[in-house]
Amino acid sequence: MVRFALVCCAASFVNSSAIAADVSFEREVMAVLSRAGCNSGACHGNLNGKGGLKLTLRGEDAALDLATLTRDMLARRTDRNRPDESLILLKATGGVPHEGGIRFSKLSPEYAILQDWIARGCLPDATAGLSLTRLDVSPRNPILVEPADRFPVKAVAHFSDGSTRDVTGLCAFEFTSTGIASITPAGEVIREQTGETVLLVRYLTEMVPIRIVFLPDRPMPEMPLSLTKSPIDRFVFAQLREMRLQPAPLAADHIFLRRAYLDLLGVLPTVEEAKAFLADADPNKREKLIDALLARPEFAEFWAQKWSDLLRNEVKALDRKGVAVFYRWIAGEIAADRPLNEFARDILAARGSTYTNPPANFWRAIRDPLQRSESVAQVFLGIRVGCARCHNHPFDRWTIDDYYGFAAFFSRIEYRVEENNKKDKLDKHEFVGEQWVLANRTGEMISPRTKLAAKPRFLGAATPEFAANEDRLAALADWVASPENAFFARAQVNRIWLNLMGRGLVDPNDDFRATNPATNPELLDWLVADFKAGGFRLKHSIKSVMLSDTYQLAATSREASTMGDELHHSHARIAPLKAEQLLDALAQVTEVPVQYTGYPLGLRANQVPAPPQSGRRDVSGMSERFLKAFGKPDRLLTCECERSDDPGLLQAFQMITGEMVNGLVLTPNNRIGRLLAAGKSDAEMLDEFYLAALSRRPSDAEATKLLAYVASAKDRRAAWEDVLWALLNSKEFLLRR
Amino acid sequence: MNGTPLSRRAVFRVGGAGLLGLTYPQLLAARAKHKARAKAVIFLHQWGGPGQQETFDPKPDAPDNVRGWYKATQTKLPGILFGERIPKLAAMADKFTVIRCLQHTMKNHNSAGYYSLTGVAPATDDQRLRDSLELFPAYGSIVDKLAPAAKGVASFVSFPHVIADGSITPGQHASFLGKGHNPLFVNQDPSRPDFRLPELTLPENLNVERLENRTDLLKIIDNQSDLLESSLVAQGLDENYQKAVTMLTSPRFKQAFDLTKESKKTRDAYGHSTYGQSCLLARRVVEAGAKFVNVYYARSIGGTGNGWDYHGFRGENVPARLDELLPMADQTLPALLNDLEERGMLESTLVVWVGEFWRTPKISSNGGRDHWPQCYCAVLAGGGAKKGAVYGASDRIGAYPTVGQARPEDLAATMFEALGLDPDSEIHDKLNRPLPIARGKPIREVLD
Repeated sequence: MVRFALVCCAASFVNSSAIAADVSFEREVMAVLSRAGCNSGACHGNLNGKGGLKLTLRGEDAALDLATLTRDMLARRTDRNRPDESLILLKATGGVPHEGGIRFSKLSPEYAILQDWIARGCLPDATAGLSLTRLDVSPRNPILVEPADRFPVKAVAHFSDGSTRDVTGLCAFEFTSTGIASITPAGEVIREQTGETVLLVRYLTEMVPIRIVFLPDRPMPEMPLSLTKSPIDRFVFAQLREMRLQPAPLAADHIFLRRAYLDLLGVLPTVEEAKAFLADADPNKREKLIDALLARPEFAEFWAQKWSDLLRNEVKALDRKGVAVFYRWIAGEIAADRPLNEFARDILAARGSTYTNPPANFWRAIRDPLQRSESVAQVFLGIRVGCARCHNHPFDRWTIDDYYGFAAFFSRIEYRVEENNKKDKLDKHEFVGEQWVLANRTGEMISPRTKLAAKPRFLGAATPEFAANEDRLAALADWVASPENAFFARAQVNRIWLNLMGRGLVDPNDDFRATNPATNPELLDWLVADFKAGGFRLKHSIKSVMLSDTYQLAATSREASTMGDELHHSHARIAPLKAEQLLDALAQVTEVPVQYTGYPLGLRANQVPAPPQSGRRDVSGMSERFLKAFGKPDRLLTCECERSDDPGLLQAFQMITGEMVNGLVLTPNNRIGRLLAAGKSDAEMLDEFYLAALSRRPSDAEATKLLAYVASAKDRRAAWEDVLWALLNSKEFLLRR
Repeated sequence: MNGTPLSRRAVFRVGGAGLLGLTYPQLLAARAKHKARAKAVIFLHQWGGPGQQETFDPKPDAPDNVRGWYKATQTKLPGILFGERIPKLAAMADKFTVIRCLQHTMKNHNSAGYYSLTGVAPATDDQRLRDSLELFPAYGSIVDKLAPAAKGVASFVSFPHVIADGSITPGQHASFLGKGHNPLFVNQDPSRPDFRLPELTLPENLNVERLENRTDLLKIIDNQSDLLESSLVAQGLDENYQKAVTMLTSPRFKQAFDLTKESKKTRDAYGHSTYGQSCLLARRVVEAGAKFVNVYYARSIGGTGNGWDYHGFRGENVPARLDELLPMADQTLPALLNDLEERGMLESTLVVWVGEFWRTPKISSNGGRDHWPQCYCAVLAGGGAKKGAVYGASDRIGAYPTVGQARPEDLAATMFEALGLDPDSEIHDKLNRPLPIARGKPIREVLD
């Protein structure tokens, strides 16, 4: 079947048009090398090349590639006298063995271009200085409804002399996901199944993403009324209509209640809180609840954990005292609703003792200048610049020079280690004791490309000239915190959206780039504007989102198409409780406090400043192992991606027979023990367990069956243990919905 | 096609990326150009770093301070010598391949250990290399990701220790591939009579009947909400539960961990040590369908009852240590190879015996040997490895390779290729960067 496809491909080239008289090296030959994949990172664009041939990655340096193709290897790669014997043509067409396989046929336009260019003497372009200024691709963001299943893509290049040219046949095409569509060499996109994908169209230095949607022929949904309360709903529902997705109904009270507690506080509502909210007849009770929760200390504690994950609040580098002061400082800032840009400025400009000036712990944790720079870009600006450390970023605008220019801001941090009582003398990463973060006025970042000190450069923004002894960190902090910064607010609202809605509008949430477009750009723009209008405050933006119907939709719907939607927020996210949420919920429902090594009994998982040192044997107890099994990160990456909630067998074993859950259920004076001792009836007990675990009362069917089970049991306590176990293992308990 | 094998890239990228639609599943993407020779790999990791002079590359003609404590012995292969303390291995040298030219530059246990467990060199030679999700996954996790075992069987099983030197050595788990690809790790001693798999064992207060009662109650609650009908997340969770409960209540996979099913003769052959019985356990889990097994030689790098790290520090009696290490090596590896052969499993099981580095050619002033990554050996047997071959050679004192070149990444590529996985197959890290599963080339000289 594969062979058949190859033949078809080759055949479709046969009748393609002849090529223009003068073949341009830069505009055609280079394009062919990209289109055929020769200069991709996996092939000859690799840092070390492949099979002895190294081309510049994605053709970033045409002059160098010209030399490589015409001079190296005794010029065997391009044979002007016998062009068809040129190694690049023999390799690409399978005339001689080629590890990269056959790239195009001898009948293809690609072949004709290369062959013609070689035959004419492998000349560089005569019209030097003619450069590509823009690539227009149409259609921009097509939505096709069945039976429509294909459309042509057209790419037009604009050059610096004002000329334009249809370059569809010279572009490289790439989908960001597989299985939705394919594209023919001539540029026709053909549906493989309904769904959504992004096609990247690349010609020379320009890459244009187009979002493509193939919809089944399903009826236009009826949009619910009264959706004008929140502009968020306007953007989301407009897109849902376009995608013909019926939004789920609004979530029931008990579901909203549990969701709001978990999202804001990380804990479950107590039995009393659940009863009160369910009984409240005030139509504004949801807004009242949001306000009340945002004011609680648990909100600051829970969101400080999220920031602690990102800011590398971990014991080995910061020590026990350090993680505690850093965590308390973050929680304090969040409780006070300090504007996030000011919060960022305090961290980035921090100097001094890490004990008395807690935000300086961020620098204490990250001791490598390049890692500092990459972390700041990722956490505060939503940009991943790591690729550009070694090569110009293949999918993005960032160059090696950008990379080292930005890194130059972080080259002057030093440490004065007042004392270091580390336990492992051989461990360079361990610090126990006070130290000071200092900035010198002379440290430089040497660029490996120029071998010179890189001039400090902001990412994607004009940078003033700095005096040699300028305080670079302060300048950087001011730039990040400035309301004009083009990246900061976007990255932060996208993070807030991720935390409440389960997926960033840009996903991954810290990977903003032209080739990774937002699913709903208008909504993102509005959120940014709202965040700025709210003074960069976390609570304001959280409330904006949570007041929307979009946030308050049910997680399930009878419509299969709605449940199939993972991008457009037609229903609420269903996700496993996070490690800390789960363990705190288990402790709360069973009424058995959980011990964290080295902390007083009664502290919740979300109140423990940092997990124990990773990489050490015997430093963790049962609860630490439990948290780790459920994905609590070690805090060594400045990335949300370090926390994993991917399910595994081990987690199932933990819940079914694990020492932690089994122990909580067995503890004599747990909630079962208390209720039995208080002489509660079975029905009263069941009510309480349901409210504690699921924030609702049992249905008639559940009550009938479960009470019958308890009534028929020989050992009443054991029967309640079984019921409690079942509640703690139910999907409704384990999932946020 | 001119006989050129249709490679993965040809399938995917002919005429430009995606022209054929990029619809082929990842499994096809990972399939190698060469036929799989092995169904499974047993990776016997010699923690601490064995010495080449005492084992597979003796230097009987070198000065005393190089030659060491023992003489050499003639093997089954003409002209090939092994150390005299591994006579059984010498007598069966026609059954496996020895690589004598492995090399790298990491001199610390943790950095070299991580390198040997992943085939990826760490950024720095760090004695306390910190594990993080930036580091590479274990071989077995990659196998589980790209070519998992049949349902109900763990693809990647590891035991009986977590290895560490001051801090836990990275490379023993799935890292950025996600917890789903972690090994089924058994931190128990298979030589103990009460050996069992804790995950597959019910706690005392819970018998099978009570667990079944509980799952019936769970169904009542789960049926109440529409989560299971409509949510893929809930269904995925449920699937794991079903699997776990099945493993807990049914004997199938569990039996692989029941060493009492083996005859006394077989158990004796492997020796009643933790490591010996672990080698036997490795055979049993491969029989049950596992695809990659890591057996760690010891919990710590050195000292009595531990790994191969015989520096002779603090008055350590090096010959006494070698009296412990060498007979164990000479008993367990032959026992495993013979056992696999007798069961007809050797052809489909690649056994790899290698440490993180080897030891200095010259005996130090402490009377032992220190770390030496510049030249070391590996043994490959079964699963497509040549029989009775030696690849590479070292200089007069075993300090540097003189013939042949191989690095841990080449050994990684060799193992993947033997399993039928293209070493160029890509996996993606946490930042979604594409990374090849092996950064070296298969060592063709050692494969049939």
